[in-house]
Amino acid sequence: MQIRNFSIIAHIDHGKSTLADRLMQATKAVSAREARAQLLDDMDIERERGITIKASAVTVMHHHTPGAAADDLEENDPAAPEGEAALTGGDNAHGQLFMLNFIDTPGHVDFNYEVSRALKACEGALLVVDATQGVQAQTVVNAYLAINENLTLIPVINKIDLPSARADEVAMEIEQVLGLPAEDCIHVSAKTGIGIPQLLAAICERLPAPAAPRFTQTRGLIFDAQYDDYRGVIVYARMFDGSLKVGDKIRMMGTGRSFQITDIGKRTPKPVRVPSIGPGEAGYIVAAIRSLADVRVGDTITLDNDPAPEALPGYKPPTQVVFCDFYPATTADAKGSDFEKLRDAIEKLSLNDSSFTYIPVHSEALGFGFRCGFLGLLHMEITQERLEREFQTEVVQTAPTVTYQVVMHDGSRLEVHNPAELPKPGTFDEIREPICKVEIILPNENIGDVLKLCSERRGVFKSQSVVGENRQMLTWEIPLAELIYDFYDKLKAMTSGYGTMDYEITDFRPNDLVKVDILINGEKVEALALICHRQNADFRGRILLKKLQKQIDRHQFEIPLQAAIGGKIIARETIKAFRKDVTAKCYGGDVSRKRKLLEKQKEGKKKMKSVGRVDIPQEAFMAVLDQGE
Amino acid sequence: MNGPVGITVSGSGRGDGSLGWTSARAAVAGGHGPVRSLYVHTPFCVHKCHYCDFYSFVDQRDQQGAFVERLIEELRAQAPLASGAPLRTIFVGGGTPSLLREDVWRRLLSEMNGLFDLSLIRSGAGEFTVECNPESATAELLGVLRAGGVNRVSMGAQSFEARHLRTLERRHDPERVAEALDLAARAGVERRSIDLIYAVPGQTLAEWEADVRRALALGTTHLSCYNLTYEPNTAMTVRLKRGEFTPVDDDLEADMFELAGALLAERGLERYEVSNYALGGIRGGQACAHNLAYWRQESWLAAGPSASGHVWAGPDRRAGGHRWKNAPNLGAYLAQSDGGYAPVAEHEAPDRARAVRERIMTGVRLSEGLDAAEVMADAEAAEPGSGTRLAAAAAELEADGWLASASGRWRVTARGWLGADFVARKLMGCVGVA
Repeated sequence: MQIRNFSIIAHIDHGKSTLADRLMQATKAVSAREARAQLLDDMDIERERGITIKASAVTVMHHHTPGAAADDLEENDPAAPEGEAALTGGDNAHGQLFMLNFIDTPGHVDFNYEVSRALKACEGALLVVDATQGVQAQTVVNAYLAINENLTLIPVINKIDLPSARADEVAMEIEQVLGLPAEDCIHVSAKTGIGIPQLLAAICERLPAPAAPRFTQTRGLIFDAQYDDYRGVIVYARMFDGSLKVGDKIRMMGTGRSFQITDIGKRTPKPVRVPSIGPGEAGYIVAAIRSLADVRVGDTITLDNDPAPEALPGYKPPTQVVFCDFYPATTADAKGSDFEKLRDAIEKLSLNDSSFTYIPVHSEALGFGFRCGFLGLLHMEITQERLEREFQTEVVQTAPTVTYQVVMHDGSRLEVHNPAELPKPGTFDEIREPICKVEIILPNENIGDVLKLCSERRGVFKSQSVVGENRQMLTWEIPLAELIYDFYDKLKAMTSGYGTMDYEITDFRPNDLVKVDILINGEKVEALALICHRQNADFRGRILLKKLQKQIDRHQFEIPLQAAIGGKIIARETIKAFRKDVTAKCYGGDVSRKRKLLEKQKEGKKKMKSVGRVDIPQEAFMAVLDQGE
Repeated sequence: MNGPVGITVSGSGRGDGSLGWTSARAAVAGGHGPVRSLYVHTPFCVHKCHYCDFYSFVDQRDQQGAFVERLIEELRAQAPLASGAPLRTIFVGGGTPSLLREDVWRRLLSEMNGLFDLSLIRSGAGEFTVECNPESATAELLGVLRAGGVNRVSMGAQSFEARHLRTLERRHDPERVAEALDLAARAGVERRSIDLIYAVPGQTLAEWEADVRRALALGTTHLSCYNLTYEPNTAMTVRLKRGEFTPVDDDLEADMFELAGALLAERGLERYEVSNYALGGIRGGQACAHNLAYWRQESWLAAGPSASGHVWAGPDRRAGGHRWKNAPNLGAYLAQSDGGYAPVAEHEAPDRARAVRERIMTGVRLSEGLDAAEVMADAEAAEPGSGTRLAAAAAELEADGWLASASGRWRVTARGWLGADFVARKLMGCVGVA
């Protein structure tokens, strides 16, 4: 039996999850009856948003006759057993038996680290490109991630059934931008099944088999881990040397911790137990591991009684680049218990997603909460949504900020994740901010607008190159702080959705950064403070005040809103006192109706956060999020 | 309390008329008589106006006869609670009561005169109001009403500007209002009130002033001015959400409110409730005695689908009263009868703290305000500590200029009229609300 390990990488929405589903269907891992869109995407949010957040690994079996003519290939392997059945069998009249282990990866910029760890476990990758959209920013970035891992790439042009498909042009783009020969592209439609047999053949023929084991001792790479309420942590591992079976006592080479394997198997995509997993194979391992904190993705598994002399090369752990606070959204009365509930939810969620960080914080305005770090804005948004949906908590989320490095007079460095933590002016030498290398692929006609956007966001132009006939790739250096405010939305709007981007943080650089305080009715509200470049402070302050003006209801007194740097007011707005808070009707004799209405309004007020005598709705704290005019 | 409590007609009610309802018997029979007021609801309309959320619909099947027979049956069940004293007020609202045919009215009025003591009303000391639509208030109908004891009409003029009437989906000719009022006067209906609606999308302050002046020119001694309210589940609210029009902004609405107050005060019509103005104010004899019964937490019977009633549970009013609302469903009303009692949508049993909150809610909307010592004492008796909280809240409201305390009463100030809900929420929040 031959083994092929590969990932599917693509720009978001180019159809990698659909392709994974189609491959499973073609190899009869799932019957057509069972097939539901995006089989690999477990989470509700993944399904709803149509994106993959966690990488998933699946094993299927396929018969292939090397060198068979394309015409002889069939979409469904007739010899393959239905459903999850038999991961066993052998070569037969339909050809040699191949075990295909494939790993679905997310496409969004925030989840690059998921992609890179999936790639570590593979010898090859399918690079999926949409035949109508062509090469996009994430295509380029993911392709380079794979090339850097020395993976063999099969370029796949998907959605060729669409009338607007321009497969040949896209093949040329792939050749121009990535240097992969146009004739190597496999043209498929994951939706209709066209080209799937050819793709399966290419996987078997073009992708290399796993390298021979280097050691006699066992070594497996942990490339993913998930938390399950009943079984604890489920570890996904790719074996390089030796094998693992139920009962083995394993040791994590990085953490030094040992566990006993209670269950071992593969996802087909349903979990199926197997007696053991050997070199080149991928599978899941359950070993009574209670918390994700006990497992480091990238760590090497070996046997406790016969450890390998050296660990496999791991990869960089994810870095949190965007930070915000989560507070329980509650009435003042129930503050304590709601905080406990939020803590519980965050702890449970972190069992499932170890890539966000959290530390308790306290804010004057919002009480007790958590400062959380994320891989990007989408990661932040999804985490909030999961907290609310999977754990029934309501959270108030403050404006996102980036990590700043503050260089103190004595030369020491302070990491600041929150404007409130910034030391007093005069106590430090400089503030450094994260700078990103940003790659943008966009239609020629929008270049002017996008160049203007990049330079408005304090960007530095690096290079420009041609992608096909109608598109270009721009490379800029832009501070991360400028990217996290609706940059992506603006890019999308300017390019009618055709522009795509990706970024990576390259370094930290000093800049003239200031903290802008927001005062409501004379009181400083730390949760609304922001750090920005001095030249943007007036503008940013004014926009924020305008938003607050819309979000905060008129009170019985006039409320001044101010933005200030140090003690100096740089912008000012007011919320006029209300003149009218009365409804004309008393609903005839229906006194109860009016009474309930008033009592409900009173309840509504309780849900707000009070700063002094001012009730601030939770949306107001979100106002800092987007700086759209 | 006397009489059985919690009679269920058939199973627990849901509201579609078929699954059974709890009847009004438990509420009404638990009341302490004699009750001196009566409200009757007629659900029929020629057209469902877009802003209206009262229970009403266009009758396609001529159910008037059946409705009135059922209504009479319900009145007969409730009448014993009114016996022993003549009624002080009757109010027939809707819907469009003037849409009932004369023969139907004749039958209803004749039964009412038999079931209840209308002597006070007939002497002129009591009040019997019927809401009228300018189109359907004919000389014949007004004659029938007057003969049956009706001595007050409330004319739904809403506006004298055709454009605004169209926005509201009112279908009468504005010129018809004067005519209808004149017919009422000639029929001998002594008291004639006019209803106006303001803050209609697109309305200017000058247009509103013209409306108020036209109402005054008709010699009215009582005027109700309601700002257009976007009630949930009305066509108007749907249109608002769709962005079909821009609502009048709060400041203009406040200006309109103040302008009406000033114009009417010049002519002696004083604001005695947030939306109501009468010659000589609350004591001038023109104020709506029936509405005052609501706002002063008196007892009243209520008949007809969707009608709301309130009866004290005993002689000590501090113990609170029963409030109920008949099911807003003509089908269920016609089909189900618990010895005459109608199916209810809601029944609230007596509750001391709630009674205080209700008194505060309606009291702050009245020019006479609230008896401070009494309301504090009753609050304290309902919930220890709440009297003190009330005093503190009232002091704060007074300091902020919403409330004035004089001669032992709390009354809203000139500014306070426009913040009556704010004041009510603040004070109500002191009593028995967790």
